[in-house]
Amino acid sequence: MIKRILLGLAVLLLVGSFGLSWRPAVTPIAPPAADSFTPAQVALGAQLAAAGNCAGCHTAPGGPAFAGGLGLETDFGVAYSTNISPDPVTGIGNWSEAAFARAMREGVARDGSHLLPAFPYTHFTKLSDGDVRALYAFFMTRPAVVAADRENTIRFPFNVRALQAGWKLLFFDAGVYQPVAAKSDIWNRGAYLAEGITHCAACHTPRNRFGAEQGQAAYAGAPFDGWFAPPLNAANPAPLPWTQQDLYDYLRSGESEAHGVAAGVMASVVHDGLAKLPDDDIRALATYFADNNGSAARAPTAAAALSLAMSRRLVDAGRETEPGANLYLAACAACHYSPAAKPLAVQGSLALSSAITADDPSNFIQTVMHGVGGAGFPGPYMPGFASALSDADIAQLANYLRRTRSDQPAWANLPAAIAARRPPSTTTP
Amino acid sequence: MHEAQTASAPAPATSSTRRGFLISTTSAGFAMAFTLVEPSLAADPADAKSAAAGFEPTIWYDIDRDGIVTVNIIRAEMGQHVGTALARIVAEELELDWTSVRLRYVDTDPKWGTMVTGGSWSVWQSFPYLSQAGAAGRMALLDEGAKLLRVGRSACTARLGVVSGDGRTISYAEIVRRGQLARSYSADELKAMPIKAAAERRLISQPTSAIDIPAKTTGAARYGLDAEVPGMVYARPKLPPTRNGCRVSAIDDSAARAIPGYLKSLVLNDPSGTVPGWVVVCAESFVAASRAADLVKVTWTNSAAASVSEADIQSHGRKLINDASGGALVVEDAGVDAAFTAAKFILEREYTTATVLHFQLEPLNALALQKDGRWEIHTGNQWQSLILPTLAKALGVEEKQVLMRTYLLGGGFGRRLNGDYAVPAALAAKALGRPVKLVWTRADDVHFDSPRSPSVQRLRMAFGPANQVTGMQHHACAGWPTQVMIPAFMPKGKNGAPYDPFAISGADHWYTVGAQRVRALSNDLANSTFRPGWLRSVGPGWTNWALESFMDEAARAAGMDTLAFRLDLLAGKTQGVGKNGADLNVAGALRQAKVLQRAAAKAGWGSKMPADTGVGLATSFGQERDMPTWCACVARVHVDRRSGVVKVEQLTVVVDAGTIVHPDGALAQVEGASLWGLSMALHEGTEFVNGQVRDSNLNTYTPLRMRDVPPLDIEFIASAEPPTGLGEPATTVIAPAIANAIFAAVGARLRHLPMRPADLLAALKTS
Amino acid sequence: MNTPTIAFKLNGQALSVTVSPDTPLLWVIRDMAKLTGTKFGCGIGLCGACTVHMGRRAVRSCITPISDVAGAQITTIEGLSADGQHPLQKAWVQTQAPQCGYCQSGQIMQAAALIRRFPDPSDADIDSVMNGNLCRCMAYVRIRQAIKIAAAEVQGGAPNA
Repeated sequence: MIKRILLGLAVLLLVGSFGLSWRPAVTPIAPPAADSFTPAQVALGAQLAAAGNCAGCHTAPGGPAFAGGLGLETDFGVAYSTNISPDPVTGIGNWSEAAFARAMREGVARDGSHLLPAFPYTHFTKLSDGDVRALYAFFMTRPAVVAADRENTIRFPFNVRALQAGWKLLFFDAGVYQPVAAKSDIWNRGAYLAEGITHCAACHTPRNRFGAEQGQAAYAGAPFDGWFAPPLNAANPAPLPWTQQDLYDYLRSGESEAHGVAAGVMASVVHDGLAKLPDDDIRALATYFADNNGSAARAPTAAAALSLAMSRRLVDAGRETEPGANLYLAACAACHYSPAAKPLAVQGSLALSSAITADDPSNFIQTVMHGVGGAGFPGPYMPGFASALSDADIAQLANYLRRTRSDQPAWANLPAAIAARRPPSTTTP
Repeated sequence: MHEAQTASAPAPATSSTRRGFLISTTSAGFAMAFTLVEPSLAADPADAKSAAAGFEPTIWYDIDRDGIVTVNIIRAEMGQHVGTALARIVAEELELDWTSVRLRYVDTDPKWGTMVTGGSWSVWQSFPYLSQAGAAGRMALLDEGAKLLRVGRSACTARLGVVSGDGRTISYAEIVRRGQLARSYSADELKAMPIKAAAERRLISQPTSAIDIPAKTTGAARYGLDAEVPGMVYARPKLPPTRNGCRVSAIDDSAARAIPGYLKSLVLNDPSGTVPGWVVVCAESFVAASRAADLVKVTWTNSAAASVSEADIQSHGRKLINDASGGALVVEDAGVDAAFTAAKFILEREYTTATVLHFQLEPLNALALQKDGRWEIHTGNQWQSLILPTLAKALGVEEKQVLMRTYLLGGGFGRRLNGDYAVPAALAAKALGRPVKLVWTRADDVHFDSPRSPSVQRLRMAFGPANQVTGMQHHACAGWPTQVMIPAFMPKGKNGAPYDPFAISGADHWYTVGAQRVRALSNDLANSTFRPGWLRSVGPGWTNWALESFMDEAARAAGMDTLAFRLDLLAGKTQGVGKNGADLNVAGALRQAKVLQRAAAKAGWGSKMPADTGVGLATSFGQERDMPTWCACVARVHVDRRSGVVKVEQLTVVVDAGTIVHPDGALAQVEGASLWGLSMALHEGTEFVNGQVRDSNLNTYTPLRMRDVPPLDIEFIASAEPPTGLGEPATTVIAPAIANAIFAAVGARLRHLPMRPADLLAALKTS
Repeated sequence: MNTPTIAFKLNGQALSVTVSPDTPLLWVIRDMAKLTGTKFGCGIGLCGACTVHMGRRAVRSCITPISDVAGAQITTIEGLSADGQHPLQKAWVQTQAPQCGYCQSGQIMQAAALIRRFPDPSDADIDSVMNGNLCRCMAYVRIRQAIKIAAAEVQGGAPNA
């Protein structure tokens, strides 16, 4: 194992040392005046910034907008997002549009240093000039915040920026999105958005040991921040396929009666981000991913699949005696009880829940711990049970629901998975 | 003080004058070793000055100048609608219009005598003297009414709050306003007061609505937890690892200081010894106090109890049973040992029950403060008379300086008989110099419950040459709540040893079994490890588990039908052998046989059952021999052999409780008590692990819920006999009926409560 | 650290509280707004005594942090009706369902959500949706009866006896 890492590093160093380890600085400018951008550009930029969920990384919780400071846990240490407000000293206020565009397209900062791929420039490289310009217009017209960037704690040697050059040589294809001629306009629009600004694969595609997305496993699902971004391809184990309509429902409103609701980071993505995109764009994303996951091919068997899944719902409460069933009936059934063979629009049956059929229990654990929704989020509310249920309780609940509501094998290593995801400040009963 | 009224009635002016004599609270023949304290019979010197006020012929009620009758209720209102039932008794004799009745749940005062609510005693104890008090008031009103109407006394009748005679009428209100109501009654006169015959009753046994209910549907009802006074601080206890034997050796609240609103942590100094090793954590809000308590680090000295397990307690119990010389002989007929020596065969069985929590839904709480030179404790409580001396001792004051203010109880079930939770609140208030509202979290409440002790019982029956029963022994060992909390109240057995009646009653059954021995043993290991408590149906709740399971096993050993076997043994005693004698006209075992037969008939005893389905029966006399409430249950169950799950298909319960004062309330009590019995049979139980109960909340403690409720078929035997208690009796017959039904269904005998699927599967393997 | 101010509506009235954001809604309702009809039973969302409505859904206020309530409409038992005459409240009195009564605020609030979602609830519906509401007095038989009576009244038909 160590040998491989050392070999890999050697390759990167070698490759990177071919004069690509440093790029020239772009001359700093005075921050552009607000009226140097049209309202339409700023508005478009706002939409794109929402779609890209820039605030999701660049705004620390409770902190000023786009002032950075949020730590991203990576396999290599913690990377802190930078201040992208237009402050000339601590932010990007002295970045010209060319500097901004280079950062977006090539992952290079104004001063010529390489950006860590934690910033998904590998996706933003696909944006059109007009979209990049609009984003520049948006960021330059935000309130300037004085906030020095925090030091990353990326371990040596991964913090050596020169190595990033080698990384790019191996794993980065720069260039604007090229439409696929055989596909429709709406499909291409969806692809442009997904591969570009909304950078879905950045979470939903597994990464190699250098932290690069695995091209041959696109959208196969990947862990993220204690959750698991599920597969968006045909490997998704949900009992019902994600049809174009399902995807539209989910991405537009955060709720799909056939699968469940957006929770965790996806709640923010949907309600804070994609909510700003026009309907056509949401349809485009839905079209692209529906094609990707082969749902159309599963359409003929969908009704039978629904029937089979719903046959697993709780029918006779009086006969359930195992501890997980007792917990379910005391803590969950009041809301989650779903008697009809057809799922209801609200409070979809757990027999269809993506969290329960997923190979990885992370999303189930996180949802039970943290709940869903709350202040500012429209749609259903579920309280979190982190302070209410012990690790053992959650494991019993998980085992019970997994066994009865899905046809998947039991999750392994549940107690450890639960303990690892328990928020530090909770006291358990 | 707490008033419960029908909607929109104004609160009546309360008169503190007392005209006439007060009547005794002692009811005839209350045989427990309780000494009920008689209330003061002295006339209040303040009587003279408030002539213009209402009429208060006894301490039990007053009538104001608008004709509103407020009945004083000294019992805890905790779900049994006791206030309504007691007011019905008064209103019956007083010939009231029921809409004029209000309830006043009184605070403590020596004039009330003993204040206790438990044992299913309230209606039974109160019926005689409340009837007498009502009759006395009616007499006085008739006398005065006749005078005001200028009609002959014998021509007058009282009905619906009005005195009528010779075509004229005058309301009680007007009599109170205009009359000279100065008649007083001596205690002897009151005891001799004629009470209505059953046929004359207009209110008792008639349907009515409970006065306390409407407020319980709107959020207006106020429980102890809702009590508030200005300037109070909140607090949560920081509990030692075990109930007994811990002392604080170090305390560090530095982490707690980070909680906004945290005030301080008090190491309690308790002269009464109620709360050894306790710390009370105080803050400006309950949330702050609760979180701070988690962060306060306390080191306690170890107590021996911290290594005790449930198995230790039970094996100690067996050891005590094995020692023939110990314990109290509650029943000791001549010739017991001879009967066993001569027996053709002997049946011996052991039965056990696990620890059970009260889990009353309102967690323990008390608000303590000093006001007007007195200590006030605001809380719901079932036995004020028991805790007042302890509070006085803890606070270092005289008992009369302590006042307990009454609230509704969010569940009693016997937990609030042990008012220990008031003591730390009082001590904290004294130490802090501010009102302290002490609230237990659920985990605290569970850990310092006074749970129903685990029990071990050994039963033996001797059979003669014709398989007739010639002798019986019942040896029961458990923690004794009465010994731990009020030892002076233990009666003495035939061998002079004291015993806890609430840990053996039920074993002194009404069956004719030849020479009978009943021996009660105190499990001292239980008593030292935790504080055993009185829990709904107390001793009979678990003695009948053993007795009625054993009677089934005995019947089968004798080759008899289990119903016929019992009926045979219930035929012998035809007169009351309870210490009440003829007063209650108990008619002995015949009434028990009757309910048993009725239940069997209703449930279709003897019909053929589908596979793995069976019926079982059980019967008991309820709580105590001298206050028997005859109960019988037939349970029908289906057993899933693969999973061990028992589905109760039907519970048929028949009760003879004499006169039923408030029929719908009685039905509700039997519904609730039956389901309590079912919960303890199949669904709930805990155990001691390292000196503490294993569970701490509903995540692992699983009392019966909505989905577990089977069809209930409940019937009361119509009777004009004196009323007996109903809060608890039905609990006693459910678990054994189910165990007997399980045996009938699949031939597996379970002898431990609760009965879990795993136990059934194990028993199926060996059956 | 700044303690945030959280604004929401309680029984139709605007309310602002400045309190640690993880304070359970239950204690804000009871100790700050002084509405004591909502009860504390277990603190972990497993007994239902603390049930209130957020919008029109039933939630367990003991595990709902106040931060999640910002901007929401919260209704407690006191706000269910102006005069205590909600069909559920009337049915509860008609069947004499409450015993000690401590759980009943939560039972009624949960039942309100039940009959909104299941206007003609079956026993199976009641079993599952009401199972989270523990009644230690075990008054379940009458709670079930009362739910059916109230549901029938809300639907406009004759009440089931």
